[in-house]
Amino acid sequence: MVELTIAMPKGRIFEEAYELLVKAGYDLPKELDDSRKLIVEAPNERFRFILAKPMDVPVYVEHGVADVGIAGKDVMLEHDRSVHELLDLGISSCYIATAGLPNTTMNEVTPRIATKYPEVASRFYRSKGEQVEIIELNGSIELAPMIGLADRIVDIVSTGKTLKENGLVEYEKIVDITSRLIANPVSYRLKQQRISEMVEKLRKQALK
Amino acid sequence: MTIQMFEKPLGMRDDFPFIAKKKAELRSKGTSIMEKAGYDLLQTPTLEYYETIGKISAIADNALFKLLDSQGETLVLRPDMTSPIARVAASKLLKEKMPVRLAYYSNVFRAQKREGGRPAEFEQMGVELIGDDSLYADAEVIILASSILKELQVESVRIVIGHTQLLQLILKDFGLSDEQIDLVREALVSKNSVGFEQLALSLPIKEEALESFNRLITTSTLAEWKQWIDPSNTEQNELYEEMLKLHKIMDRNGLVDSVTFDLTFISHMTYYTGLVFEFYGAGSGFPLGNGGRYDGLMKQFNLQVGATGFGLRVDRLLEAMAPNREKELQTLVLFTEETEQEAHELAQELRSEGQRTTLQYAPAVQALDEFTALFSDVRRLDGGTNG
Repeated sequence: MVELTIAMPKGRIFEEAYELLVKAGYDLPKELDDSRKLIVEAPNERFRFILAKPMDVPVYVEHGVADVGIAGKDVMLEHDRSVHELLDLGISSCYIATAGLPNTTMNEVTPRIATKYPEVASRFYRSKGEQVEIIELNGSIELAPMIGLADRIVDIVSTGKTLKENGLVEYEKIVDITSRLIANPVSYRLKQQRISEMVEKLRKQALK
Repeated sequence: MTIQMFEKPLGMRDDFPFIAKKKAELRSKGTSIMEKAGYDLLQTPTLEYYETIGKISAIADNALFKLLDSQGETLVLRPDMTSPIARVAASKLLKEKMPVRLAYYSNVFRAQKREGGRPAEFEQMGVELIGDDSLYADAEVIILASSILKELQVESVRIVIGHTQLLQLILKDFGLSDEQIDLVREALVSKNSVGFEQLALSLPIKEEALESFNRLITTSTLAEWKQWIDPSNTEQNELYEEMLKLHKIMDRNGLVDSVTFDLTFISHMTYYTGLVFEFYGAGSGFPLGNGGRYDGLMKQFNLQVGATGFGLRVDRLLEAMAPNREKELQTLVLFTEETEQEAHELAQELRSEGQRTTLQYAPAVQALDEFTALFSDVRRLDGGTNG
């Protein structure tokens, strides 16, 4: 059996992804995420896990240092990477939306949008025929409209709780997001059997 | 932005001596195989017109390096070799010698928009077989590329073969229009299975055919292709028969275990119109090379002939080729003013025996121990002792 290197996102998605792999019948060591280790082996399955920042998973897979990975569709939309998107895992379901202070309109001359997803935001407003100025932020995007940095934000919404607590309302839904199983194009060919097997096992779980 | 003295433009790389040496080995092995198979090497200019080669090559516009000549015409640094060679082949000189077999080893330029890890200038070697529209031409180039990979001792070589035209015909049978087929192809180029399945739901495909349609993306053998071939469609059957023939040829050449027949494999190079293929190997996370039939491209040069070929990426082959295990022997002769004459004679003698020999005036070396460590043999005519 050839070894498979799997890039896993740390944090929120990790738990769900780990659970899905176990449910699919993979024999993984308990508490993978518990340690501060960045590389964890699962010898019974000949897996090697790389624990990476969610945004970085497609990078590892694109360069082929990881054969497969679990990545949010949001990351895939933001950075166009040459990886194969094999399966919608249906986990970590959320969506990207625009939000802002209630009952406000966008500045007509220079509408400003704060976001962690400049590419997604720019594509969305261009498709609506609106020219906007994008301001890239790395976190706590909700701050931007509250203190007058931007008219709207483009961000991930899972429950809407964060928006509400900060007195913001959702305006337009842009796209639904779930996590995907992605593969490096070369690994997909050279380790086809192992990867197809994984797709089938996970597909059965994802459909439930 | 101030540019520091050591900086190079994005994607540009230096070839240090050990890389340059490995490249030279790769080049001589590759070109000698291509020449032995009857292909003539040629070189085309680095600069071409944007209006012709720039637009015809399948490389995205924003990946082209553009500049202006003194007449204000836009030029491009050649982004690929196939279109310039098609231009050459269409010239009168070669037109009368069809089928013509041409080979190249050249650098091409593609601007990179993102972070590093991808070169903006890299070498490609490959062949173009122009003026032969038979299956045997396709088989010849696939076998030739495989033999280069074999010579370079690339491990776990995999060849993925698809057929653009046959796929097009099969997609039509699902009742799709040309625009819808284009959407499907877009999802297929990146092997986006998720997008493909979602797209299937939005297309006017009959419910009972949906499962069969979704199966398209996972084919890996020719036997699987058969389920989509309409027995009453002569064109489909002829193309499928050809693929079976190709399978036999691959088998005879001992390649059949390395081949995956993937019906939905499509190249990002849009000029391929028939059989398409791509090469993979252990050691590189990116495909080693690709190729296919591009009869349509020749039409753009007003030539109604068939053409097929492949290109291999030298930078990726370097990662995948077996390392040279033999440590190279190199002798160092250290001399001082007094022993200069003696040292010259010694060096000449060693060189005439075929030994690679470096002659160095000892007092000019700052760190003698580090310097001598670079050589397999050190002859000290400077009065010092080894170690």
